[in-house]
Amino acid sequence: MGGATAALDYDAELMLRVKAGDGASFALLLKKHRAAVVHFLYRMVRSQAVAEELAQEAFLRVYRSRGAYEPTARFTTWLFRIATHLALNWLRDGKNERGQESLDQRDSGMPARQAADGRESVEQWMVRESRFEEVRRAVAALPANQRAAVLMHKYEEMEYSQIAKVLHCTESAVKSLLFRAYETLRARLAHMA
Amino acid sequence: MSHNGCREETELLLEYAAGGLDAAGRVAVERHMEECGRCRDFVAGQRAVEAALDGWEAPPVSADFDRRLYARIEREASWLNWLSWPLSPEVIRRGLPVVAAAGLVLAAFLVMNCSEPAPLAPPAAARQVEPLGPDQVETALQDMEMLREFSGLVRPDPAM
Repeated sequence: MGGATAALDYDAELMLRVKAGDGASFALLLKKHRAAVVHFLYRMVRSQAVAEELAQEAFLRVYRSRGAYEPTARFTTWLFRIATHLALNWLRDGKNERGQESLDQRDSGMPARQAADGRESVEQWMVRESRFEEVRRAVAALPANQRAAVLMHKYEEMEYSQIAKVLHCTESAVKSLLFRAYETLRARLAHMA
Repeated sequence: MSHNGCREETELLLEYAAGGLDAAGRVAVERHMEECGRCRDFVAGQRAVEAALDGWEAPPVSADFDRRLYARIEREASWLNWLSWPLSPEVIRRGLPVVAAAGLVLAAFLVMNCSEPAPLAPPAAARQVEPLGPDQVETALQDMEMLREFSGLVRPDPAM
């Protein structure tokens, strides 16, 4: 937790420098959080192109809001609140069908390159890809707010309190979201043990 | 560790499956699981989920992500600069005297035009009266005198 506090202070300090007109501090924040935001959005919308577009919008909004920034919460809470809001809006607007196509195109290329390198056989790659696809489908089948909670809990290692702030709900509500989501995932993925 | 299926217990098992408990917590859960098949199954299932999720890697971020973002910021900044140009301090500092002078000239023009009253239109009757010259007046008086004389001739004065 001490590290998290130090990170909080550092991010907030950088953002305050951005507020004062320091572009280099924005570059540092971007470098530090770019991958986490894009990966979170990718797992939310299942499209790399859409995830990067939404992540750009999220960072753009951070930059736009620099003048009004006050370090009342963790920088990452604010950043993920923006990113989650964009992802939920995108999913709500029903744009995910088009994104699905680009996801499939992008994902099918990566393991194929690895298989071609000779590190794993085509059969091994197909088995692995099939398992990943099952995971992706299981997560995608979750309601959007449960999916967001699981992704922040699992991949960003956020505490319940921080997820609650991102999702604008109580810690108790976050626990309910996570318990229901993991229950669904256990039912669908337990056989993969 | 009790076993009443409450939320706290589930939360503890989730933390244990994710490897998030301290040593004392781990020992307590493991001791409980030795006797509880239901919790063992729960943890096994949750660990399977954790392992499956661990394997889901996200693709790397595009190399030109930052360049595209900065291009958007640049576009937005230039657009905002263009919009806010009339309000910029430099423009205000240089343009204010010119605008003030132009405003004064305009105000003076308006005041001058408004202070001179527009001529009133004369009444219709007045417009029909034409001024008479002295000769015409004299002729008219002579005509009246002549008429009076004629009247005296036609109706003689009873006093006479």
